[in-house]
Amino acid sequence: MTNVVPPRVRAGLAVISWPVYVLLYTPLALVAYYSFAPAPLQTGHSFHGYAVLFSDSTVFVALQRSLILAVGSATVSTALGTLLGYGLCRFRNANARGIAANLPSLIIYTPIIMPSLVFGISELIFFNFVHSATGLLAAGLGTMVIAHITFQVPYVALTVFARLAGLDPNLFEASHDLYADGIKSFMFLTIPIVQPAIIGGFLLGITLSIDDFTISFFTSGPGSVTLPIYIYGAIAKKGISPEINALGTLMIAVVIVLALAHFFITRQRERRASLLPS
Amino acid sequence: MSGAAKIIIPEKRAAKTAVQTEARAKSFRLWITAGPGLFWVVLFLLIPSVILLAIGFFTSNDYGSPTMPLTLQPFQQVAGYSLLGWDPGNIIILLRSLEQAGIATVVTALLAYPIVFFIMTRPASVRPLLLLFIILPSWTNQVVRTYAWLELLGPNAPLTWVAHALGIVPPDLGIEPGQFAVTTGLAYNYLPYMIVPLYASAERLDWTLVEAGRDLYAKGFTLFWHTVFPQTVPGLLSGVIFVAIPAFGDYVVPQLLGGDRSLMIGSLIANQFTETPDWPYGAALTIIMLVFTGAGLVAFRVLTRKLGGAGEATI
Repeated sequence: MTNVVPPRVRAGLAVISWPVYVLLYTPLALVAYYSFAPAPLQTGHSFHGYAVLFSDSTVFVALQRSLILAVGSATVSTALGTLLGYGLCRFRNANARGIAANLPSLIIYTPIIMPSLVFGISELIFFNFVHSATGLLAAGLGTMVIAHITFQVPYVALTVFARLAGLDPNLFEASHDLYADGIKSFMFLTIPIVQPAIIGGFLLGITLSIDDFTISFFTSGPGSVTLPIYIYGAIAKKGISPEINALGTLMIAVVIVLALAHFFITRQRERRASLLPS
Repeated sequence: MSGAAKIIIPEKRAAKTAVQTEARAKSFRLWITAGPGLFWVVLFLLIPSVILLAIGFFTSNDYGSPTMPLTLQPFQQVAGYSLLGWDPGNIIILLRSLEQAGIATVVTALLAYPIVFFIMTRPASVRPLLLLFIILPSWTNQVVRTYAWLELLGPNAPLTWVAHALGIVPPDLGIEPGQFAVTTGLAYNYLPYMIVPLYASAERLDWTLVEAGRDLYAKGFTLFWHTVFPQTVPGLLSGVIFVAIPAFGDYVVPQLLGGDRSLMIGSLIANQFTETPDWPYGAALTIIMLVFTGAGLVAFRVLTRKLGGAGEATI
């Protein structure tokens, strides 16, 4: 296909695209650059911002909460979402029409389509009502985990569903013919086949959790400040400081390193797999 | 003949009940597997959002909480009516939100086409990496990647010096806070959401059509417009939805980059639940926002069907 596009057009595309790539990373690079700002009344570059950051114990508590939130919610949503995607792919009557048959799709797509602000405020009000009626679900890390599970479940379900939908349905018939019952065929056929999708769903859940601010903001309580909420609060209070830039730099670096590592590891595995005789 | 018919009928009946029990077992398994996940989303999202919408029809008490009686007063407030008379503020904010989301969508679409085809015309081995570098910034936290633009657009930032020199922005002021900063922030945040679906449809492109077009002496933009563009319309429409809807209701970008004079509907809604609580008014604003979102989605479905776009694999 590449030979269809003339070289002149390809050069034009490159001229437009490379600056966009640069622009995508310029703000992030500036955050890193300013994180090495000197201490007050000094010049040059320094680790002053990092020193201030690491001396602040609230940052470590916030980091801990962010990790618990991300891993905890992704674990539960992976379990719920995998079962959901599996069930919809295997046991739903594909010919059924009408509202009842479309209900699962409606339920799955609502969290994806709903603006995250509406999502967050709905949860805020709901938890508020439940708390004033029963005393349970006080705004805090618990309510944040619940909210994060809720927006991750559909994405995990869609990932697993997409993987299963691409399979030959005869595989399941074959496992039946070999006397595997429902649970056995789920454990020994489905799980291994969808394992990449389950891992992908889990990583997607963690990514969505780390990325989110709006929903966390509206479901958090006074004692459940996570990293993004900490940054937002600090900027609102006293503007951008070198220590906030240091924290931002570390968060950007972790995401970039993990994403690149994941990319190259998967690619190598795929390459190795393609070398095996089929 | 009649004997044969007698034998067939019970067999048919047996087959029918077997089908029925199988269907029943299937729906039981469906509820066992899909049930918990669906139940979770219904309990923690659908029911809460119905409650939120319902609050829009209640009266606001002194603390801004909903009380009886039911009323349409919150919607009058949304339209700009208050004890002090009519005020166009809300209408302006709504129009500004639509404008910002619209500009961000157009900008991302205009950037996405060259980038997608730039990636498509690179060797197959580097394509995934080039796509990854587009998506990567969107995996960093919303607040971090948005406040990062403050470094570029703030009063003492490099881009602002350029703007000062060109006379676009009055001296002593940054580009941020302002509408330009908000548009930029939205386009930056949502560019990957336009590129990914567009890339997916470009990957399935039938290039023989392009060759056929060239054989018919079509060139340049005409060739693109008649052979490539129609095939990418489904991806473009998905991208428009993925960008326009979240951009319209975005909270972080206008909050961090907008300032008071570029308020968008998201911040206006949030204020009714945080700073100066008035839940019914906030709920009514939410309903209006969702009406616009819903209208956009319906228009999208109609358009996709009309243009015969092949849908993605969906549940």
